[in-house]
Amino acid sequence: MTPRPPKLADRLLAWFVAPHRLETLQGDLHEEFVYQVERVGEQRARWRYWRDVLGFVRPYVIKRKPSEYITPSLVSPVMLQNYVKIAWRSLQHNRLLSLINIFGLSLGMTCSLLIGLWVNDELSFNKGYKDAERIYFVRLTDGINTGEIMPGSLAEALKKDVPQVDKATKFTVWSNDFLLKAGQRFSKKEGNYVTEDFFDIFQYPVLQGNPRVAIQSPNAIVITRSIAETLFGTTEAVGKTLQLNNDKYYRVGAVIENIPHNSSIQFNWLVNFKVAEEDWMKGWQSRSFLNYIKLKPNTTHAQAEASMRTLVKRYLPDTKEVPVLQPIADTYLYGNYENGKAVGGRISYVKSFSLIALLILLIACVNFMNLATARSSLRAKEIGVRKVVGAGRLSLVGQFIGESTLLSLLSASAAIGLTLCLLPTINELVGKPLALDFSSPTLWLYVITLVVGTSLVAGSYPALFLSAMQPVRVLKGAFTNVASGAAFRKSLVVFQFSLSLFLIVGMLIIGRQMDYVRTKQLGLDRQNLIYIPVEGELLPKMETFRQELQRSNTISSVTSTGELPIHIGSTNVLNWAGKDPNLNASVNTMKVGLDFAKTLGIKFIAGHDFSPSDTNSYIVNESAVKMMNLKNPLGMEIMFSRGKGRIIGIMNDFHISSLHEPIRPLVLTYYPKWTNDFLIKTAPGKTAEALQVVEQTAHRLNPSYPFTYHFLDEAYEKLYRSETLVNTLTNYFGLLAILISCLGLFGLAAFTAEQRTKEIGIRKVLGASVPNVIALLSKDFLKLVLIAIVIATPLAWYAMSQWLQNFTYRINIEWWMFAVAGLLAVGIALMTVSSQAIKAALMNPVKSLRSE
Amino acid sequence: MKRTYLGEFEEIVLLLVAGMDGEAYGVGITHKLNEETDRSVRLNQVHAALHRLQEKGMVASRMGDPTPERGGRRKLLFTVTAYGYRTLQDIKAMRAQLWNEVPPTPKLAINL
Repeated sequence: MTPRPPKLADRLLAWFVAPHRLETLQGDLHEEFVYQVERVGEQRARWRYWRDVLGFVRPYVIKRKPSEYITPSLVSPVMLQNYVKIAWRSLQHNRLLSLINIFGLSLGMTCSLLIGLWVNDELSFNKGYKDAERIYFVRLTDGINTGEIMPGSLAEALKKDVPQVDKATKFTVWSNDFLLKAGQRFSKKEGNYVTEDFFDIFQYPVLQGNPRVAIQSPNAIVITRSIAETLFGTTEAVGKTLQLNNDKYYRVGAVIENIPHNSSIQFNWLVNFKVAEEDWMKGWQSRSFLNYIKLKPNTTHAQAEASMRTLVKRYLPDTKEVPVLQPIADTYLYGNYENGKAVGGRISYVKSFSLIALLILLIACVNFMNLATARSSLRAKEIGVRKVVGAGRLSLVGQFIGESTLLSLLSASAAIGLTLCLLPTINELVGKPLALDFSSPTLWLYVITLVVGTSLVAGSYPALFLSAMQPVRVLKGAFTNVASGAAFRKSLVVFQFSLSLFLIVGMLIIGRQMDYVRTKQLGLDRQNLIYIPVEGELLPKMETFRQELQRSNTISSVTSTGELPIHIGSTNVLNWAGKDPNLNASVNTMKVGLDFAKTLGIKFIAGHDFSPSDTNSYIVNESAVKMMNLKNPLGMEIMFSRGKGRIIGIMNDFHISSLHEPIRPLVLTYYPKWTNDFLIKTAPGKTAEALQVVEQTAHRLNPSYPFTYHFLDEAYEKLYRSETLVNTLTNYFGLLAILISCLGLFGLAAFTAEQRTKEIGIRKVLGASVPNVIALLSKDFLKLVLIAIVIATPLAWYAMSQWLQNFTYRINIEWWMFAVAGLLAVGIALMTVSSQAIKAALMNPVKSLRSE
Repeated sequence: MKRTYLGEFEEIVLLLVAGMDGEAYGVGITHKLNEETDRSVRLNQVHAALHRLQEKGMVASRMGDPTPERGGRRKLLFTVTAYGYRTLQDIKAMRAQLWNEVPPTPKLAINL
């Protein structure tokens, strides 16, 4: 066998050498190789061959020969001009369709923009802290239930006993809405008491002073910019004094920037925790605190968790609970725990909304694709001519993508305008200060991605479909709507309507669940209840205040409670004789004043409400009795937060938290001194008068505080803020999706009707009636909607049953919900299509057949 | 007249092209050059020189016939152009003229 030059070298040569030189050059090299094989042997000849090949890596060898013909560039200015002109003409030629396209696309883009802003804001929560990767939120889990409200001594123990923990801080789960006063100026803002490490963990931009030093002192207060400006008119407030809650005077130790809205920890002022610490806050029994820790550098949270495993058991021998740490950046979006593991949370809403935004944009793109392919028969001749004169496939694809880009640019500008108009309303809806920040590159990147993505998706099908047409067939007139194009259009319509149906079912079910939540009998009467804080002079004069109010005939009853009874978070450990030692008897608890049951309309199964002498008696609910597993607990002695005491009453169960949660055992204690809110039941229909009475009385007894009040109903609604948001948003999205889908259907129907003008004319001449023609035109579209119903029903059923799983108390999904959604979709589609069908059917056949 | 500058190597390659009378191509020139001048030049150097000469318009190229040892590939054959030929003659004349001034026995520098 004759020796052959190395293959790889030959391949390399063929790759870099300009084609017109390759033959002679390679010939020379091969000839040389044969010569060298004889002279020096094959192995060395091969080496030489490699060296020679590499020696030819020279510019003159690589440089390609310019073609004899001018290669038409895709972006030559003349052609570009032509593309824009043709695009503009075809926009104008079909005004209605273009308008539908632009309108649909800009609605879709507005939707994506708004959701993009919202998602961006959600994702930014708790992200801005310095050393955020070392800051963790502490929860306790027994492997099944995971709580975020921690015992009082945990923070200290974490810092003392766990080597990885650098700093630890705690503050109460509630914040204090206190009056801050300096001279004549005052401000009523929420704030809290925090332990010394707080500012070592969370670093905020400082305007004046040193918050880390200030918080160490029991006499200093750290305030935010807004308070400093309201009270002192300047942010240079360090050293000035203010009075907190009409009680103690504090020196301003530091002024920090306002807390950004995208932070879970919100406050306007902070004072050293020691100032407000009470005996019941210490120890391990009572839980009222949120704990944050900062780990030492170069330690992982797995290490820290490992060292914490036995920590709680050391102090609470009966417990199985261990601390779990969550990075602060995750706390907002991944706040749900199941069996001791983070299982998501708000992130699911973020994901669903992003998906919905994408899908709505896709529906709008589908409109564009549909109308463009439908019109393709009109443009087929243009394509044919272009191809004959030498347009390559690529340049046609470019042209159509360019057209969709033009359209999506127009739509994007409309969308930005629309977004600017809608933002104030949306912000009110979602409760966020969202804004289009035109100086941010992220926004522009997003908008550009939106435009490019939309134009690619919307333009891709027409571009590929139209550019593939054969010019000969087209110009001979053999081009009729290709069947595959029609099938594709049909599946797109089915997709649109499936999505719309999905959203309509969502609207119905979420709406009904929210209705259920709103009207559900909670076991307590939350109607006609207002609540005002127990503050200032009202605390010592509590009983006087209650008596005076109850004297008015506009007020039926008054009580006071530690937390709002619709959302009780504090817990404590319950003990009794004969308790199973393995039972986790941590129960919810609330401190109440007199007339609690009367004011809230709670029924007793046995026993009675507290009387003023019942300082160490307890009232329990049905669930607590069930948990204790006792036949006749009334009068029994139990150990709880106020020591040994008797059960004097057993209440019917009422919902102590949102309907997401089951009703848990509850023990009430009589401890008016530690209640935070008056709950005032007004006589039916006399709320306005009652409010006046309350205001006057409060002013008289507590003149230094401004009067504030809230309705319990509103607080209850707030428990479902994210669900209410989902409810409203699905309503809007559902409507939007239907609207855009119908726009597309309308355009398509108008187009088919126009295409079939002659056919309809002939049918009418031959005796078809108007209903006949309408049925003919509508039938096709209705079929598609019916297919969509079949597809969307199981999907919607699945998604909605998943969502309802979030609620312990929920509605059932019933078949009629799907029927209603289906009928609605059919009805809307029929209305959209039939308007065009009727127009076509009523047309005079003479007119449509006259010209040919 | 300002003549195009011709390097020494280019001049030799051009001479060889002229000498081979229309049958000059890369490998042929390389081998001949190696034999006659006792140099060791490589194929790519010769190709580069031929390319430069063609750019200067001193040689022209055409496609030759394929041969079996080339794997059936054709040769790129070079012929000297009139301009190239005149350049060679000019160089030769100039050299001859310069030789005329050299005395038959010039004084040579000898290290004593």
